[in-house]
Amino acid sequence: MVEVYKPQSLKEALELLEFNDCTVFAGGTDLMVKKKQWTGLEPCFDKPVVLISEIDELTEIKRDENYLYIGAACTFSQLIESSLIPEFYKCVFVEMASPSIRNMATIGGNICNSSPAGDCLPLLYALDANLLIQSSCRNFEVPIEDFIIGPGRNILKSGELVTKVKILNSNFNIIKYRKVGARKSTVLSKLSFIGLADMEDKRLHDIRLAFGAVAPTVVRNREIEAEILNMYSMGLVDVQEITGYYSILIRPIDDQRSTAKYRKSSCKRLLEDFIKSLL
Amino acid sequence: MKTDISAPVKRDDVADKLAGLTCYIGDMRNEDMLYAKTLRSKEARAKIASIEYPVMPEGYFIVGKNDIPGRNRVKLLLEDWPFFAEDVVNYIGEPIALIVGSDKAVIQELIAATKVIYQKLEPILSIDDSGLLPIYGETNSFADYSFGKGDIDKVKRIAKYIYEGTYETGYQEQFYLEPQGVIAEFKEGKATIYGSLQCPYYIKNAVIDCLGISSDRVRIVQATTGGAFGGKEDYPSLLAGQAACAALKANKPVCLLLERNEDIECTTKRHPSRIRLTSYVDEGFKLIGLEADIVIDAGAYAGLSGVVLQRAMFAAAGVYNVENLRVHGKAIATNKVVSGAFRGFGSPQAFFAIEMHMEHAAKEMGVDPMEFKLQNVVKKWDKSTTGGIFRDKNLLPEMVQRVTEMSGFAEKKQTSKKPRNDNKRRGIGLSMFLHGCGFTGNGERDHIKAHVKLAKNSRDEVEILISNVEMGQGINTTMKKIAANALEIPIERVIFINPDTDRVPDSGPTVASRTIVVVGRLVYEAAIELKEKWQVGAVQEAECSYQYPEGYEWDNDSLSGDAYTNYSWGVNAVEVELDTLTFESKIIGVWAVFDIGKSIDDRIVKGQIDGGIVQGLGYASMEVMENQQGRFKQRSSTDYIIPTAMDIPIIQSELMCQPYSGGPFGAKGLGELTLVGSPIAYALAIEDAIDAGINSIPVRPELLMEVMADDKKY
Repeated sequence: MVEVYKPQSLKEALELLEFNDCTVFAGGTDLMVKKKQWTGLEPCFDKPVVLISEIDELTEIKRDENYLYIGAACTFSQLIESSLIPEFYKCVFVEMASPSIRNMATIGGNICNSSPAGDCLPLLYALDANLLIQSSCRNFEVPIEDFIIGPGRNILKSGELVTKVKILNSNFNIIKYRKVGARKSTVLSKLSFIGLADMEDKRLHDIRLAFGAVAPTVVRNREIEAEILNMYSMGLVDVQEITGYYSILIRPIDDQRSTAKYRKSSCKRLLEDFIKSLL
Repeated sequence: MKTDISAPVKRDDVADKLAGLTCYIGDMRNEDMLYAKTLRSKEARAKIASIEYPVMPEGYFIVGKNDIPGRNRVKLLLEDWPFFAEDVVNYIGEPIALIVGSDKAVIQELIAATKVIYQKLEPILSIDDSGLLPIYGETNSFADYSFGKGDIDKVKRIAKYIYEGTYETGYQEQFYLEPQGVIAEFKEGKATIYGSLQCPYYIKNAVIDCLGISSDRVRIVQATTGGAFGGKEDYPSLLAGQAACAALKANKPVCLLLERNEDIECTTKRHPSRIRLTSYVDEGFKLIGLEADIVIDAGAYAGLSGVVLQRAMFAAAGVYNVENLRVHGKAIATNKVVSGAFRGFGSPQAFFAIEMHMEHAAKEMGVDPMEFKLQNVVKKWDKSTTGGIFRDKNLLPEMVQRVTEMSGFAEKKQTSKKPRNDNKRRGIGLSMFLHGCGFTGNGERDHIKAHVKLAKNSRDEVEILISNVEMGQGINTTMKKIAANALEIPIERVIFINPDTDRVPDSGPTVASRTIVVVGRLVYEAAIELKEKWQVGAVQEAECSYQYPEGYEWDNDSLSGDAYTNYSWGVNAVEVELDTLTFESKIIGVWAVFDIGKSIDDRIVKGQIDGGIVQGLGYASMEVMENQQGRFKQRSSTDYIIPTAMDIPIIQSELMCQPYSGGPFGAKGLGELTLVGSPIAYALAIEDAIDAGINSIPVRPELLMEVMADDKKY
């Protein structure tokens, strides 16, 4: 038998987690697959399960002057339907999995699963998203790239919960997102690319580039982005040089979904295309 | 009631299926029932040195090779495939034993605690001559056939153009919605098997051999079957034998259901192939000769590979008339999952090769591929590859004309060549194909000898008694339509129940696009007989047996004569848009015309057309199954990718009708034909977009990237 808790508030959940080693269960769309056994047997959870998907504090979406706050247990369908979520986020979310999975899967779950192929991660990296982490004794904020430390690995400790995603309101007017998978729906990505730019009168104010599924964690690099801004301001954009920088960071593998060569060269072409679109 | 038989009627199985009320094998429960799980080989090739089982608790059993009272061989073509491995294992996933008991958690622990000690042998993993110890016989091939006609040596001397090419196709998984499963019980000396299956009598014969008991002590009952596509033609015989032995040993009903990923990894797939073609063409662009060398990867045991190979060989010349021909084919044994039946049965591989070949040859000679193909298409009274006669008018030229109109083919061919500035390229391709319906060669006449029965009760309802199964393709409806139409009674008064071998005669397996054209005809004839002797309120029967049609000939030793009695035809066009950044291709249009003779139900026919085309498009594009050291890399439903509705546009299809006088109401076969042409049209569309040759499927973006980088033409 699996022991299941269903706390009614965030406080109750955090208290539970403080004293019990539990598996946190939000949408369950990854967990139920990982824990699946022979049909007819219960899923093999080795710890008690805490259900958090209906806790009000975790399912809110709020926006103030500076920030957008997304509750960690918001489902992707909820985000797609919300008027507070910018349209280009939604373009990323609608390419995830299938409608039935988006109805269950949560943004916090996708983050904590910490897969290099996690579909919302390149967007969150590009947006400089911070995560709010809470336990019964402390609250703190961490940038997403410091949270995820390897494939399936993050810094979350026992007793802690990711409660919100905090994103600075920004103004990007050039947006390119590509999820490359073997089919259009219900598929894990072979690679993904997001390019965001804030451009005005041929002047580039900001650029963000992130690549998914081509390294142990999402690839994003602020120094290269700064260098690109620098190149633009000088009017000396060297596409080859830029792709060369990323070539060191993009270290994909051969697996059952694709080849390292394909992943790397597709990233290169998508990047070149994005950079050229800014010229 | 006399109405147009093609007018769609409501399928009476659909409401329950949509509502989730239909009872499949996995829904069947029995209080005493035990569960079975398979202990499988983890080695591609090894001797089993020993097996250390944990102590079985009371009520738990090991069922292995020593628990088979009869022969440890699955009855198919050759006698090499064991129900349970004997001294050696020949592929990863091969069954060694079942662990049977009441609690699945306990069974799982027992399996985990079992240790199989292997002595590894070097596995044969490729169809190239490896020089390794053969798996089968001395040459390591399960079948090696040759046939020909005319004088190929003469055309070699006189041909103006000689063109050679090699074509490869990959694995394909059937991916039926419902995984494989059976329940076996043994009561009062009689074995009854319930299962998700296509061929009740194949299984009956396999279980008779396995248990070594008489025919009257084995009964097979089909459970409602959630898709099969050929995958439930051969493999259920293995499962049924295993479960029957388990039920005998445990003296309780035993349920053996495969899990989805277990099914993907361990059951039969479509044969990978490598086909070399050399064509000889004269100065007038007439195809005067063809040589074909066909090799298929059969996997560890023979299964149905011999007949799959024959169908591929007979299709070597596609829809073209070639008077001088030499065909050689081999089915090679490898230490991989057994290759088996799959919609098309060798034909999709052969048609891919010849259609790509004709296209490439035309381009090489500098002529229009469509003109070259149409010039060489078979006509009425031309001979088939095996020297059989095409007796009916071939509508292909009209069908090509119609598909080109529907698709705007000529115009699109032009626009696809225009440069664009959006990282996209478009291409369009068109394929022509046929499918010989019914068993190959003497199968229907000498092996199957189909027999059907109609039974009328005192309420004047008529039950159709045949061994063919409803598996999603609609025969529950179409068979009732045929009988009702012939009897001139309402369809509601015709009964069709899932076959039970204690009740139905052997009308053969549900395979080879034979159900409507062969069995449907027998049902029609029995219905006409019943109508003639109809007495209101009387209990009556009518029977009918297969008669080989007059005027046809087949010699199985020389593989010559009429390989099939009737042919269905198809023309498909596919348009793609290729992204030159990622080499992903989006299918933006599909157009199709088929000649299946008279349609028995237009809506059911449309279902088969759409399903077959989608399955073919998956085969050609995204269905990748690579084998690495004997193990599939794509071995789960997450990693083996089949198309969804998002990947396919609305399929525009039409029918043309050249009736077959031997089919019911002029109907011909349908099910397999619909899969044959779309892979080719897809590959040709990609070729058109990239202006370089494609010689293998699936055409995944990873492959396309290499082809375009190579810059190699055809």
